[in-house]
Amino acid sequence: MPVIVANYLCAALLFCLGLFTLLTRRNLIKMVMGLSLMEASTYVLLLSLAYRPGSTAPVLLDMPPGKSPEQVADPVLQNFCLTAIVIGVAVTGVSLAVVVRLAQHYRTLDADEIRELRG
Amino acid sequence: MKERNHRPAVGWVCTLATAAVLAVVVFSLPRGTGPLPAIARYAMQVALPRWGTTEPVSEIVYGTRGFDTFGETFLLLAAVVGVAIVARSREARRGFIGEEVAGRREEAAVDKPDGPPSRDERVAERAEEQERGDESETAPDTPDRTPIGAPGPETAEAMTVVVRASVRFAAPILTIAGLYLVAVGYSPGGGFPAGAAMLGVALLAYVSLGYRRVEPVLRPDVVEPIELAGALAIAGLGLAGLLLAGSFLANILPLAAPETILSGGTMQAFSVVEFVEVATGLIIAVFGLLGMRDEWCR
Repeated sequence: MPVIVANYLCAALLFCLGLFTLLTRRNLIKMVMGLSLMEASTYVLLLSLAYRPGSTAPVLLDMPPGKSPEQVADPVLQNFCLTAIVIGVAVTGVSLAVVVRLAQHYRTLDADEIRELRG
Repeated sequence: MKERNHRPAVGWVCTLATAAVLAVVVFSLPRGTGPLPAIARYAMQVALPRWGTTEPVSEIVYGTRGFDTFGETFLLLAAVVGVAIVARSREARRGFIGEEVAGRREEAAVDKPDGPPSRDERVAERAEEQERGDESETAPDTPDRTPIGAPGPETAEAMTVVVRASVRFAAPILTIAGLYLVAVGYSPGGGFPAGAAMLGVALLAYVSLGYRRVEPVLRPDVVEPIELAGALAIAGLGLAGLLLAGSFLANILPLAAPETILSGGTMQAFSVVEFVEVATGLIIAVFGLLGMRDEWCR
Protein backbone atom coordinates (compact mmCIF):
# COMPACT_ATOMS: atom_id res chain seq x y z
CA MET A 1 0.00 0.00 0.00
CA PRO A 2 1.49 3.37 -0.97
CA VAL A 3 2.35 5.72 1.87
CA ILE A 4 -0.10 8.32 0.62
CA VAL A 5 -3.07 5.99 1.13
CA ALA A 6 -2.11 5.83 4.81
CA ASN A 7 -2.37 9.63 4.84
CA TYR A 8 -5.83 9.48 3.30
CA LEU A 9 -6.91 6.84 5.83
CA CYS A 10 -5.57 9.04 8.61
CA ALA A 11 -7.69 11.93 7.34
CA ALA A 12 -10.77 9.67 7.15
CA LEU A 13 -10.10 8.39 10.68
CA LEU A 14 -9.76 11.93 12.04
CA PHE A 15 -13.04 12.88 10.36
CA CYS A 16 -14.84 9.87 11.84
CA LEU A 17 -13.42 10.59 15.31
CA GLY A 18 -14.68 14.15 15.07
CA LEU A 19 -18.09 13.02 13.85
CA PHE A 20 -18.39 10.45 16.65
CA THR A 21 -17.43 13.09 19.24
CA LEU A 22 -20.02 15.47 17.83
CA LEU A 23 -22.76 12.82 17.85
CA THR A 24 -22.22 11.17 21.21
CA ARG A 25 -20.94 13.96 23.47
CA ARG A 26 -23.26 16.55 24.94
CA ASN A 27 -20.56 18.70 26.54
CA LEU A 28 -20.43 21.80 24.34
CA ILE A 29 -16.64 22.20 24.64
CA LYS A 30 -16.18 18.59 23.53
CA MET A 31 -18.54 19.17 20.62
CA VAL A 32 -16.41 22.13 19.50
CA MET A 33 -13.36 19.88 19.83
CA GLY A 34 -15.07 17.32 17.59
CA LEU A 35 -15.73 20.04 15.03
CA SER A 36 -12.04 21.02 15.17
CA LEU A 37 -11.03 17.39 14.60
CA MET A 38 -13.21 17.26 11.49
CA GLU A 39 -11.59 20.50 10.29
CA ALA A 40 -8.13 19.03 10.94
CA SER A 41 -8.98 16.03 8.77
CA THR A 42 -9.51 18.36 5.80
CA TYR A 43 -6.02 19.83 6.31
CA VAL A 44 -4.48 16.35 6.19
CA LEU A 45 -6.54 15.42 3.14
CA LEU A 46 -5.72 18.60 1.17
CA LEU A 47 -1.99 18.39 1.89
CA SER A 48 -1.95 14.67 1.02
CA LEU A 49 -3.71 15.38 -2.28
CA ALA A 50 -0.91 17.85 -3.10
CA TYR A 51 1.68 15.06 -2.83
CA ARG A 52 3.64 13.93 -5.91
CA PRO A 53 6.14 11.06 -5.55
CA GLY A 54 9.75 12.21 -5.84
CA SER A 55 8.77 15.86 -6.05
CA THR A 56 10.09 18.87 -4.19
CA ALA A 57 8.50 21.87 -2.52
CA PRO A 58 6.88 24.37 -4.90
CA VAL A 59 9.54 27.04 -4.40
CA LEU A 60 11.46 28.37 -7.37
CA LEU A 61 14.23 29.72 -5.14
CA ASP A 62 17.16 27.27 -4.95
CA MET A 63 15.39 24.43 -6.73
CA PRO A 64 17.33 21.21 -5.95
CA PRO A 65 19.51 20.00 -8.84
CA GLY A 66 17.71 17.65 -11.20
CA LYS A 67 14.25 18.94 -10.34
CA SER A 68 12.18 20.97 -12.78
CA PRO A 69 9.26 23.26 -11.84
CA GLU A 70 7.03 20.45 -13.10
CA GLN A 71 8.18 18.07 -10.34
CA VAL A 72 6.69 19.86 -7.35
CA ALA A 73 3.89 19.32 -4.88
CA ASP A 74 0.65 20.97 -6.00
CA PRO A 75 0.79 24.59 -4.70
CA VAL A 76 -2.92 25.22 -5.32
CA LEU A 77 -3.95 22.59 -2.78
CA GLN A 78 -1.50 24.06 -0.26
CA ASN A 79 -3.33 27.35 -0.76
CA PHE A 80 -6.63 25.57 -0.12
CA CYS A 81 -5.21 24.17 3.11
CA LEU A 82 -4.31 27.70 4.24
CA THR A 83 -7.88 28.79 3.48
CA ALA A 84 -9.24 25.81 5.41
CA ILE A 85 -7.11 26.68 8.45
CA VAL A 86 -8.37 30.26 8.49
CA ILE A 87 -11.99 29.12 8.22
CA GLY A 88 -11.34 26.55 10.97
CA VAL A 89 -10.02 29.30 13.25
CA ALA A 90 -13.06 31.46 12.49
CA VAL A 91 -15.53 28.63 13.21
CA THR A 92 -13.77 27.57 16.43
CA GLY A 93 -13.48 31.15 17.70
CA VAL A 94 -17.13 32.01 17.19
CA SER A 95 -18.32 28.65 18.59
CA LEU A 96 -16.21 29.03 21.73
CA ALA A 97 -17.49 32.57 22.32
CA VAL A 98 -21.08 31.34 22.02
CA VAL A 99 -20.33 28.37 24.30
CA VAL A 100 -18.94 30.65 27.02
CA ARG A 101 -22.06 32.82 26.88
CA LEU A 102 -24.32 29.74 26.96
CA ALA A 103 -22.45 28.43 29.98
CA GLN A 104 -22.78 31.78 31.76
CA HIS A 105 -26.46 32.04 30.97
CA TYR A 106 -27.60 28.48 31.74
CA ARG A 107 -24.91 27.54 34.30
CA THR A 108 -24.25 24.29 32.43
CA LEU A 109 -22.21 23.00 29.50
CA ASP A 110 -24.57 20.08 28.83
CA ALA A 111 -26.39 20.67 25.55
CA ASP A 112 -29.28 18.49 26.77
CA GLU A 113 -29.96 20.72 29.73
CA ILE A 114 -30.13 23.81 27.57
CA ARG A 115 -33.74 23.25 26.67
CA GLU A 116 -34.04 26.18 24.26
CA LEU A 117 -31.59 24.42 21.93
CA ARG A 118 -34.10 21.59 21.38
CA GLY A 119 -35.97 22.05 18.19
CA MET B 1 -17.76 12.41 37.03
CA LYS B 2 -18.44 9.71 34.47
CA GLU B 3 -19.82 11.22 31.34
CA ARG B 4 -22.74 9.38 29.86
CA ASN B 5 -22.87 8.62 26.16
CA HIS B 6 -25.59 10.42 24.29
CA ARG B 7 -27.48 8.04 21.96
CA PRO B 8 -24.41 5.82 21.41
CA ALA B 9 -26.24 3.61 18.88
CA VAL B 10 -27.00 6.55 16.60
CA GLY B 11 -23.44 7.77 16.97
CA TRP B 12 -21.93 4.40 16.11
CA VAL B 13 -24.23 3.76 13.13
CA CYS B 14 -23.66 7.22 11.58
CA THR B 15 -19.91 7.12 12.20
CA LEU B 16 -19.49 3.59 10.83
CA ALA B 17 -21.57 4.42 7.76
CA THR B 18 -19.46 7.52 7.12
CA ALA B 19 -16.31 5.47 7.70
CA ALA B 20 -17.46 2.86 5.18
CA VAL B 21 -18.13 5.49 2.51
CA LEU B 22 -14.79 7.20 3.21
CA ALA B 23 -12.95 3.87 3.09
CA VAL B 24 -14.32 3.18 -0.39
CA VAL B 25 -13.52 6.71 -1.59
CA VAL B 26 -10.02 6.82 -0.11
CA PHE B 27 -8.75 3.99 -2.30
CA SER B 28 -9.91 5.69 -5.48
CA LEU B 29 -8.34 9.07 -4.63
CA PRO B 30 -5.44 10.16 -6.87
CA ARG B 31 -2.10 8.94 -5.57
CA GLY B 32 -0.01 11.78 -6.93
CA THR B 33 1.07 9.94 -10.06
CA GLY B 34 -0.76 12.19 -12.51
CA PRO B 35 0.71 15.41 -13.86
CA LEU B 36 0.16 18.69 -12.04
CA PRO B 37 -3.25 20.24 -12.75
CA ALA B 38 -3.30 23.04 -15.30
CA ILE B 39 -3.90 25.76 -12.71
CA ALA B 40 -0.86 24.63 -10.67
CA ARG B 41 1.36 24.58 -13.75
CA TYR B 42 0.06 28.02 -14.69
CA ALA B 43 0.93 29.33 -11.22
CA MET B 44 4.45 27.90 -11.45
CA GLN B 45 4.92 29.56 -14.85
CA VAL B 46 3.58 33.04 -14.12
CA ALA B 47 5.06 33.43 -10.64
CA LEU B 48 8.40 34.77 -11.85
CA PRO B 49 7.53 36.71 -15.04
CA ARG B 50 4.26 38.29 -13.92
CA TRP B 51 4.75 38.79 -10.20
CA GLY B 52 8.52 38.67 -9.83
CA THR B 53 8.34 36.19 -6.95
CA THR B 54 9.97 32.81 -6.48
CA GLU B 55 7.21 31.56 -4.16
CA PRO B 56 4.33 30.01 -6.14
CA VAL B 57 2.21 29.29 -3.04
CA SER B 58 2.23 32.97 -2.02
CA GLU B 59 1.68 33.85 -5.66
CA ILE B 60 -1.49 31.72 -5.67
CA VAL B 61 -2.69 33.00 -2.30
CA TYR B 62 -2.22 36.71 -3.04
CA GLY B 63 -2.05 36.70 -6.84
CA THR B 64 -3.76 34.11 -9.03
CA ARG B 65 -6.40 33.29 -6.41
CA GLY B 66 -6.26 36.68 -4.71
CA PHE B 67 -10.01 37.08 -4.89
CA ASP B 68 -10.44 33.87 -2.91
CA THR B 69 -8.09 35.23 -0.23
CA PHE B 70 -10.01 38.51 -0.32
CA GLY B 71 -13.21 36.66 0.55
CA GLU B 72 -11.40 34.60 3.18
CA THR B 73 -10.06 37.76 4.81
CA PHE B 74 -13.52 39.22 5.12
CA LEU B 75 -14.85 35.91 6.43
CA LEU B 76 -12.19 36.12 9.15
CA LEU B 77 -13.17 39.75 9.78
CA ALA B 78 -16.83 38.74 10.10
CA ALA B 79 -15.87 36.02 12.61
CA VAL B 80 -13.74 38.51 14.58
CA VAL B 81 -16.62 41.00 14.65
CA GLY B 82 -18.91 38.17 15.78
CA VAL B 83 -16.59 37.16 18.63
CA ALA B 84 -16.12 40.81 19.60
CA ILE B 85 -19.88 41.36 19.77
CA VAL B 86 -20.61 38.16 21.70
CA ALA B 87 -17.69 38.74 24.08
CA ARG B 88 -18.29 42.42 24.65
CA SER B 89 -19.19 43.52 28.16
CA ARG B 90 -22.57 45.01 28.83
CA GLU B 91 -22.27 48.71 28.14
CA ALA B 92 -23.25 51.28 30.72
CA ARG B 93 -26.50 52.98 29.86
CA ARG B 94 -26.12 56.58 28.86
CA GLY B 95 -28.62 59.20 29.88
CA PHE B 96 -31.52 59.31 32.24
CA ILE B 97 -34.82 57.60 31.51
CA GLY B 98 -36.76 58.53 34.62
CA GLU B 99 -36.42 55.46 36.83
CA GLU B 100 -35.38 57.59 39.80
CA VAL B 101 -38.56 59.68 39.77
CA ALA B 102 -40.71 56.62 39.13
CA GLY B 103 -39.15 54.66 41.97
CA ARG B 104 -39.12 57.42 44.58
CA ARG B 105 -42.52 56.69 46.06
CA GLU B 106 -41.87 52.95 46.28
CA GLU B 107 -38.48 53.60 47.82
CA ALA B 108 -40.01 55.89 50.43
CA ALA B 109 -42.56 53.20 51.33
CA VAL B 110 -39.90 50.54 51.85
CA ASP B 111 -36.97 52.52 53.22
CA LYS B 112 -37.90 54.42 56.34
CA PRO B 113 -34.80 56.38 57.26
CA ASP B 114 -35.79 56.83 60.93
CA GLY B 115 -36.79 53.31 61.87
CA PRO B 116 -34.46 50.44 62.73
CA PRO B 117 -32.99 48.60 59.72
CA SER B 118 -35.20 45.77 58.53
CA ARG B 119 -33.95 42.20 58.29
CA ASP B 120 -33.49 42.43 54.50
CA GLU B 121 -31.52 45.62 54.88
CA ARG B 122 -29.16 44.06 57.39
CA VAL B 123 -28.59 41.04 55.14
CA ALA B 124 -27.87 43.31 52.18
CA GLU B 125 -25.50 45.47 54.19
CA ARG B 126 -23.59 42.44 55.46
CA ALA B 127 -23.27 41.03 51.93
CA GLU B 128 -22.04 44.38 50.67
CA GLU B 129 -19.44 44.59 53.40
CA GLN B 130 -18.23 41.09 52.61
CA GLU B 131 -17.85 41.94 48.94
CA ARG B 132 -15.92 45.05 49.78
CA GLY B 133 -13.64 42.93 51.95
CA ASP B 134 -12.94 40.64 48.97
CA GLU B 135 -11.90 43.60 46.85
CA SER B 136 -9.58 45.18 49.38
CA GLU B 137 -7.56 41.98 49.58
CA THR B 138 -5.45 42.98 46.57
CA ALA B 139 -2.82 40.66 45.20
CA PRO B 140 0.79 41.80 44.76
CA ASP B 141 1.88 42.73 41.24
CA THR B 142 4.20 39.78 40.85
CA PRO B 143 4.63 36.56 42.81
CA ASP B 144 8.18 37.67 43.68
CA ARG B 145 6.73 39.91 46.41
CA THR B 146 4.62 37.16 47.94
CA PRO B 147 6.09 36.31 51.35
CA ILE B 148 7.60 32.85 51.62
CA GLY B 149 5.15 30.39 53.11
CA ALA B 150 2.10 32.42 52.15
CA PRO B 151 -0.92 30.18 51.80
CA GLY B 152 -2.95 29.35 48.86
CA PRO B 153 -2.86 29.62 45.13
CA GLU B 154 -0.87 32.47 43.72
CA THR B 155 -3.07 35.45 43.02
CA ALA B 156 -0.56 37.78 41.37
CA GLU B 157 -1.34 38.77 37.82
CA ALA B 158 2.20 38.43 36.45
CA MET B 159 4.47 35.38 36.62
CA THR B 160 7.80 35.05 38.42
CA VAL B 161 10.96 36.87 37.40
CA VAL B 162 12.31 33.71 35.74
CA VAL B 163 9.37 33.50 33.34
CA ARG B 164 9.32 37.24 32.72
CA ALA B 165 13.03 37.34 31.89
CA SER B 166 12.69 34.34 29.55
CA VAL B 167 9.78 35.95 27.73
CA ARG B 168 11.64 39.25 27.46
CA PHE B 169 14.39 37.27 25.77
CA ALA B 170 12.19 35.10 23.54
CA ALA B 171 9.55 37.62 22.46
CA PRO B 172 11.84 39.86 20.36
CA ILE B 173 13.26 36.80 18.59
CA LEU B 174 9.75 35.51 17.82
CA THR B 175 8.70 38.98 16.67
CA ILE B 176 11.61 39.20 14.26
CA ALA B 177 10.95 35.65 13.02
CA GLY B 178 7.30 36.58 12.36
CA LEU B 179 8.23 39.80 10.59
CA TYR B 180 10.80 37.88 8.54
CA LEU B 181 8.07 35.50 7.34
CA VAL B 182 6.05 38.36 5.92
CA ALA B 183 8.88 40.69 4.83
CA VAL B 184 10.88 38.14 2.85
CA GLY B 185 8.01 37.32 0.53
CA TYR B 186 10.07 35.37 -2.01
CA SER B 187 10.53 32.41 0.35
CA PRO B 188 7.74 30.41 2.03
CA GLY B 189 5.74 32.38 4.56
CA GLY B 190 3.41 35.28 4.03
CA GLY B 191 0.87 37.21 6.02
CA PHE B 192 -1.09 34.33 7.59
CA PRO B 193 1.68 32.48 9.47
CA ALA B 194 3.32 35.80 10.40
CA GLY B 195 0.04 37.04 11.86
CA ALA B 196 -0.31 33.86 13.89
CA ALA B 197 3.27 34.34 15.18
CA MET B 198 2.34 37.85 16.34
CA LEU B 199 -0.60 36.44 18.27
CA GLY B 200 1.87 34.06 19.94
CA VAL B 201 4.07 37.00 21.00
CA ALA B 202 1.04 38.87 22.36
CA LEU B 203 -0.09 35.82 24.34
CA LEU B 204 3.41 35.24 25.76
CA ALA B 205 3.51 38.85 26.96
CA TYR B 206 0.00 38.51 28.39
CA VAL B 207 0.60 35.34 30.42
CA SER B 208 3.98 36.41 31.75
CA LEU B 209 3.46 40.13 32.44
CA GLY B 210 -0.28 40.19 33.11
CA TYR B 211 -3.05 42.03 31.34
CA ARG B 212 -2.33 45.40 32.96
CA ARG B 213 1.09 45.59 31.26
CA VAL B 214 -0.10 44.68 27.76
CA GLU B 215 -3.37 46.60 27.93
CA PRO B 216 -2.02 49.95 26.60
CA VAL B 217 -0.94 48.21 23.39
CA LEU B 218 -3.65 45.56 23.00
CA ARG B 219 -6.71 47.49 24.11
CA PRO B 220 -9.65 46.93 21.73
CA ASP B 221 -9.89 50.62 20.87
CA VAL B 222 -6.23 50.53 19.77
CA VAL B 223 -6.31 47.25 17.83
CA GLU B 224 -9.78 47.50 16.25
CA PRO B 225 -9.04 50.64 14.14
CA ILE B 226 -5.84 48.99 12.87
CA GLU B 227 -7.84 45.89 11.89
CA LEU B 228 -10.40 47.93 9.99
CA ALA B 229 -7.70 50.05 8.34
CA GLY B 230 -6.14 46.78 7.12
CA ALA B 231 -9.47 45.63 5.68
CA LEU B 232 -9.89 49.00 3.94
CA ALA B 233 -6.36 48.77 2.53
CA ILE B 234 -7.05 45.30 1.09
CA ALA B 235 -10.26 46.49 -0.54
CA GLY B 236 -8.38 49.58 -1.82
CA LEU B 237 -5.60 47.43 -3.30
CA GLY B 238 -8.17 45.29 -5.07
CA LEU B 239 -10.10 48.23 -6.44
CA ALA B 240 -6.91 49.98 -7.54
CA GLY B 241 -6.04 46.86 -9.52
CA LEU B 242 -9.52 46.88 -11.06
CA LEU B 243 -9.26 50.55 -12.06
CA LEU B 244 -5.62 50.73 -13.17
CA ALA B 245 -4.86 47.24 -14.51
CA GLY B 246 -8.25 45.91 -15.48
CA SER B 247 -8.83 43.14 -12.95
CA PHE B 248 -9.42 42.92 -9.20
CA LEU B 249 -6.10 42.73 -7.25
CA ALA B 250 -4.06 42.84 -10.48
CA ASN B 251 -0.48 44.05 -10.10
CA ILE B 252 -0.24 47.83 -10.16
CA LEU B 253 3.13 48.31 -8.45
CA PRO B 254 6.45 48.21 -10.30
CA LEU B 255 8.18 44.83 -9.97
CA ALA B 256 11.50 44.95 -8.11
CA ALA B 257 14.33 42.53 -8.87
CA PRO B 258 13.42 38.94 -7.88
CA GLU B 259 14.60 37.69 -4.49
CA THR B 260 14.56 41.10 -2.88
CA ILE B 261 12.23 42.27 -0.13
CA LEU B 262 10.30 44.49 -2.54
CA SER B 263 9.81 41.82 -5.19
CA GLY B 264 6.24 40.69 -5.78
CA GLY B 265 4.54 44.01 -6.48
CA THR B 266 0.91 44.13 -5.33
CA MET B 267 1.19 40.54 -4.10
CA GLN B 268 3.76 41.53 -1.48
CA ALA B 269 1.71 44.57 -0.45
CA PHE B 270 -1.37 42.34 -0.06
CA SER B 271 0.67 39.91 2.04
CA VAL B 272 1.83 42.70 4.38
CA VAL B 273 -1.70 44.10 4.82
CA GLU B 274 -2.98 40.56 5.34
CA PHE B 275 -0.39 40.19 8.12
CA VAL B 276 -1.79 43.29 9.85
CA GLU B 277 -5.30 41.99 9.34
CA VAL B 278 -4.63 38.47 10.66
CA ALA B 279 -2.49 39.58 13.61
CA THR B 280 -4.97 42.18 14.86
CA GLY B 281 -7.99 39.98 14.08
CA LEU B 282 -6.63 37.04 16.07
CA ILE B 283 -5.60 39.35 18.93
CA ILE B 284 -9.10 40.87 19.10
CA ALA B 285 -10.76 37.44 19.01
CA VAL B 286 -8.48 35.75 21.56
CA PHE B 287 -8.38 38.66 24.01
CA GLY B 288 -12.12 39.08 23.59
CA LEU B 289 -12.57 35.44 24.65
CA LEU B 290 -10.08 35.83 27.52
CA GLY B 291 -11.77 38.96 28.81
CA MET B 292 -15.37 37.70 28.75
CA ARG B 293 -17.02 38.76 31.98
CA ASP B 294 -19.66 36.79 33.78
CA GLU B 295 -22.42 39.36 33.86
CA TRP B 296 -25.29 38.27 31.65
CA CYS B 297 -26.93 35.89 34.02
CA ARG B 298 -27.73 38.24 36.90
